[in-house]
Amino acid sequence: MLRLAFPLVSHLPRRKPASVRPRPPPARRYASSSSATTASFSPPPSPLLPPLPPASAYVHLPFCRKRCHYCDFPIVALGSSSASSHGGGEAAEDPRIVDYVRLLLREVSATRPVSDDGVPLETVFFGGGTPSLVPPRLVATVLDALRDRFGLSACPEVSIEMDPGTFDAARLRELVGVGVNRVSLGVQAFQEDLLRACGRAHGLKEVYEAVGIVTACEGLQNWSMDLISSLPNQTEEMWEESLRCTVDARPTHVSVYDLQIEQGTKFGQMYAPGVFPLPSDIESANFYKIASKRLSEAGYNHYEISSYCKPGYECKHNLTYWQNRPFYAFGLGSASYINGVRYSRPRRTKEYAEWVQKLEDGTWSHESRSSDMKDMALDVVMLSLRTAWGLDLQSFSKSFGKSLTLSLCNTFKPFVESGLVIAMDMDRRALPHVDFELDLQNEDDFGRRVAFIRLSDPDGFLLSNELISLAFGIISP
Amino acid sequence: MATATATASRLAVLAPRPLLPAPGRRRHVPAPGCGHSRPRGLYAAPRGRVICLAAPAPAAPSTTDAGQDRLQKVPISNIRNFCIIAHIDHGKSTLADKLLELTGTVQKREMKEQFLDNMDLERERGITIKLQAARMRYVMNNKPYCLNLIDTPGHVDFSYEVSRSLAACEGALLVVDASQGVEAQTLANVYLALENNLEVIPVLNKIDLPGAEPDRVAQEIEEIIGLDCRDAIRCSAKEGIGITEILDALVTKIPPPKDTAKDPLRALIFDSYYDPYRGVIVYFRVIDGSMKKGDKICFMANGKEYVADEIGVLSPNQMQVDELYAGEVGYLSASIRSVADARVGDTITHYSKKADHALPGYSQATPMVFCGLFPIDADQFEELREALEKLQLNDAALKFEPESSSAMGFGFRCGFLGLLHMEIVQERLEREYNLNLIITAPSVVYRVNCADGETVECSNPSLLPEPGKRRSIEEPYVKIEMLTPKDYIGSIMELAQDRRGEFKEMNFITESRAKLIYELPLAEMVGDFFDQLKSRSKGYASMEYSLIGYRESQLVKLDIQINGDPVEALSTIVHRDKACIGTKVIASEALSAIRKDVLSKCYGGDITRKKKLLKKQAEGKKRMKAIGRVDVPQEAFMAVLKLEKEVL
Repeated sequence: MLRLAFPLVSHLPRRKPASVRPRPPPARRYASSSSATTASFSPPPSPLLPPLPPASAYVHLPFCRKRCHYCDFPIVALGSSSASSHGGGEAAEDPRIVDYVRLLLREVSATRPVSDDGVPLETVFFGGGTPSLVPPRLVATVLDALRDRFGLSACPEVSIEMDPGTFDAARLRELVGVGVNRVSLGVQAFQEDLLRACGRAHGLKEVYEAVGIVTACEGLQNWSMDLISSLPNQTEEMWEESLRCTVDARPTHVSVYDLQIEQGTKFGQMYAPGVFPLPSDIESANFYKIASKRLSEAGYNHYEISSYCKPGYECKHNLTYWQNRPFYAFGLGSASYINGVRYSRPRRTKEYAEWVQKLEDGTWSHESRSSDMKDMALDVVMLSLRTAWGLDLQSFSKSFGKSLTLSLCNTFKPFVESGLVIAMDMDRRALPHVDFELDLQNEDDFGRRVAFIRLSDPDGFLLSNELISLAFGIISP
Repeated sequence: MATATATASRLAVLAPRPLLPAPGRRRHVPAPGCGHSRPRGLYAAPRGRVICLAAPAPAAPSTTDAGQDRLQKVPISNIRNFCIIAHIDHGKSTLADKLLELTGTVQKREMKEQFLDNMDLERERGITIKLQAARMRYVMNNKPYCLNLIDTPGHVDFSYEVSRSLAACEGALLVVDASQGVEAQTLANVYLALENNLEVIPVLNKIDLPGAEPDRVAQEIEEIIGLDCRDAIRCSAKEGIGITEILDALVTKIPPPKDTAKDPLRALIFDSYYDPYRGVIVYFRVIDGSMKKGDKICFMANGKEYVADEIGVLSPNQMQVDELYAGEVGYLSASIRSVADARVGDTITHYSKKADHALPGYSQATPMVFCGLFPIDADQFEELREALEKLQLNDAALKFEPESSSAMGFGFRCGFLGLLHMEIVQERLEREYNLNLIITAPSVVYRVNCADGETVECSNPSLLPEPGKRRSIEEPYVKIEMLTPKDYIGSIMELAQDRRGEFKEMNFITESRAKLIYELPLAEMVGDFFDQLKSRSKGYASMEYSLIGYRESQLVKLDIQINGDPVEALSTIVHRDKACIGTKVIASEALSAIRKDVLSKCYGGDITRKKKLLKKQAEGKKRMKAIGRVDVPQEAFMAVLKLEKEVL
C-alpha cells in the first residue's frame, strides 16, 4: 500500500542495520482474534467454514522509502538514502531487509501446516510496504520456504506489490524468474501534483516508465493498476484523466481505493474527511460512480467493491478473503485466518520478533477455537456482499438457519424495491422485486426462486456500510 | 472546612457545576469515562448549586491574611467594578485566579485545583469560562479598596447578557495573548465596553512565552481598537508577573461608582440562575440607593414583588450581608420560581419607594434560531416536555411549543438565542436527560408578506404560507466580521460567497492578519458556518456577528421526500438559486453521504477493523427512526439536512 520511492541511488552510505535479535518471550499476549463468546443460536456444521486447510498465503514485506501521508499500515521506513538498488547488485542489500526476511523465514518454518495431506498453496501475495524494494533473491528464498513447508500448486498465483521508481526491467525479470506472475502496481494517480500531495516521491515519469516495464515484461500477463480516489484537491477532471490513462495502459486488473483519512497519519492531522481540500462525500461518491462507469465501459468487471478485472483475471488471492476461506499470513502486522481464528501479528518489529521466538518455542500456537456462529455469519455477510457474486442464500441458510436468512431478506426488502439490493435466481438472473417479495411471503417455499442477493453497482456498493450494518443489526441484535 | 471552601470557590469561579458530591470528597482527577460527559460552565447551565448557603467567612477564624476582611464596607469612592474581556485561551481565568489569590480572596492552597478541565465544548466553540462575580479587598497606599470582578459570557449568542454585565461595571481589563493578537469576539466586547463608557485597561498576557510579541500586539490593539497602549500592562498570569500592576491600575484608572446611595433603589440584574432548593438566585449591581435583607422588592419589567430573604456578596462563594448600597455587587434570593421572572437587564427597586424609571437597556429575549426536536422513541415525548420545562426554569431565552408531524410524530419547535445556545440545550437534553432526539435543520424567523397585505412571522418551514398567498419573503441578515491570518483569506471568502455573503470590506489590521466583513443571511450561518470557518483556517480565524435586520430574498420552500413520502419536518427554506425547482432525486445522494469507509481496503485480508466499524454502525442504528417504509438513521437525517449546502 505504501508505495513511495525515489529513483534509486546505490552509492549512498549505508545505514547502520537495526538488529533484530530474538528475545525471550515477553509476558504479554498478542491474541486478538475474534473471541469465542457464547453463540446464541445452535451451530450447525457449515460447508462455508473451516476446517478447510488454507491454500493461500499473505506475506508482508514492510519496507518503504518513507511513509506516505495517508498510510497507517505497519511499515518500516528505510529512508531515501537506503542502499538498495534495482540494479540487483548483491552488495546493495540493506541489512534491515536481510534481517527481516530471516525472521520471516523463521516464522514460516515454525508454522505448522493445517493439514498433513498436503494441500498446496494456490496463491501467494507479497504485500507491503513496498515489496519491490526487497531484492528478488530474498523474495525467492521466501517462496522456497513456503514451497518446502506447505507445497505450491502446479501454477499458483504469485502476486507482488510494486511501486513506480523502485524497479527496472531486469529486476522485474528476475522476480518473474523466481515465480512471480502477477504485479500490483501502485500508481495511485496520474497527476504530478496529486502524487506529491500524498507524499509519494515518484512522479509521473516513473509511473509511465513502470507501466512500460511491466507491459513489456515477458512471462507477465497479469497485472493490476492501483488507484486512489478522493485525494486532496482532486477534481472530477483529474479523476477522469487517471481512469483514461489507466484504461490506456491496459492492465488486466484495476483496484480503486477511496482515500481513508486515518488518525495518526499526516493526512489525519491536515484534513477532515469531506471537508475542503478533500472532496465532499458527495463528490467522493461521484468519483466512485465515474470509476464504475468508465471501467465497465472499457470491459472490466466490477467484481468486488474496490476491484475491477478483465474477464477471468480476478485476483484469486483476494477472492480467498471475500469467500471467507482460510489463509496463512506471515510477517509484521499481518493477519491470518486459520482454523476459524483470525489473528493479527504485532505491528512493531521488536514485538514481532519476540512473537516469532514464542512461536518457535512452542509457547504460542494458532489454537483452534470454537468460533462464535454469530461472528461467522457477520463475516460471511460482510465479505460476500462486497462482491458482485453476492450472498449465496442457500448456503447461508444451511449454515446459519432459515429464520435468520428470512429476517435478513425481509430487512433488505425495501432496498430490493429501491434497487440498492439485487435478488437473483439460481442462474444469476435478476428478479423483479415483486418476485422476491412473493418468495418471501411463502416461508416454506422460500428459496424456490431467490438464490442470491447482491448490492447493486454502483449505488448499492456505495451504501454497503449502511446495508451491511443493517444486516449486522439483524444477525447480532 | 478548607476543602469545602475550595470546592465552593472552584464552583463559583467555574459557575455551573452540575450536582457535586459532598464537599470535601471531590475527585481531583476525573474518573475515566465521566471526564467529558457533560458540558460544564455553559451559560445556560444551572449555576453552582452547591455554593455555600451560609457564609462561613465572617466568623471563620481562618487566617488573618489580607483579603479576609473583604466583607467590610469601604466608602463608595473606594469601590471599583470591572470585568475582564478576553478571547478563549488568552488567559482570562488564570488571571482571575491570580487576582483572587493575590488579594487573599481565595487562599493559595485552595487554588491548587486546575479548573480548566472538562471544557471541551467551550473550547471548541470559543466561549470563555464563566466566573459570575467576585468581591476582593485590596489595600493600596494604606487605603482599603473593594474590587468587584463581574464576569461576562464570551459568546455572541449572549451579547445581550454581555452588555448587561458591562453596564454593571465602570471599567474593563482587556486581556490579549501577547503571542496571538486580538480576536473577533474580543473586539466585539471591547466595542460594547467602550459604548458603555467603560475605562478599558489593556493587558498583554503570556509575555513569558517564547513567541510573545507584546510590541506587535500592542500596536495591533492601538490600530484596531484605537486604545492607547503606551501604558498597557505586560503580564504573565501563569507566572504571576504584573498582577500587582493590574490591581494598582484597577484602583487608579477605573472611576468609582457614583454616590447615589440616597436615591430610590435601582439594582441591575446581570445574571441569575435557578437553585432547586432556594429558587432563583439573582446577581445584581446596586446602581442607586441601598437594599437591606428582608426588604420588599419589585422587579420593574414584570411588576412582580418579592421579599429579599437573603442578600449577600460573592467572594467568590456566597456570603450573607445585611445591606448593600450603591456601587456594590451582590446576590439575593427571594423564592423566585423561574429565571424568566428575574430576567437579566431588569431593574430591582423597592416596593414601597419605587424608582421613577427603570435602568435603560432591558430587552426581552428574542429567539433567533429555531429547530424541531423530536424524541426518537415516541414514548419519550412527555419526558422531553418535562426536561424542556426544567431547562426553561434556568434559561429564560429558551422557548418551545409542541409540534407534530405525520412522519416524525410529536415533538417541540424550540427557539434559541443562537447556534451555541441551541447546541447547549440539545446537548443537555441528550446527556443529562438521556433523551434520544432527532433534530431538524435549524431555521430562522422569516417574515412573509402575504398577498392580503398582512405580514406573518414564520419560523417553521412547514408552516410557510402557500406560494399563491405570499407576495414576498424577508429573511434576517447579519453582519459578520471575521479575523483571519492572510493565508486563509481566499478560502474564507469562498465560504462567505458560497453562503450568499455580500462582501463589504477587507482591511489588513496588521501585515499578516485581515478583517473581512460580509453581510449574509442568518440562515446561511446557522448550520456549519463556524465549523467551516475553523476548518478552513486551521482554527485560526475568529468571527463575530450582529443582526442587521430583514431583507427581501428570493426564497422557496424545499420539500424533502423519502421514498416518495414528503417529510414536512425536513422541509427547509432555501434561496431560489440553490434549490432545484421541481423534483430532483436526492435521496440516494443524501445517503451516499454516509458512505465513509465503504471502500476501505481490507488490507492483507485483515477484516477485523472493518468489522468493528460496521458493528459500531449497526449499534448506531438503535437510534433509528422509522420514516415511511425505510429506516433512516440519525446520520442520514444529518446528511439530508446538509444537502442544502452540498447538493443543491
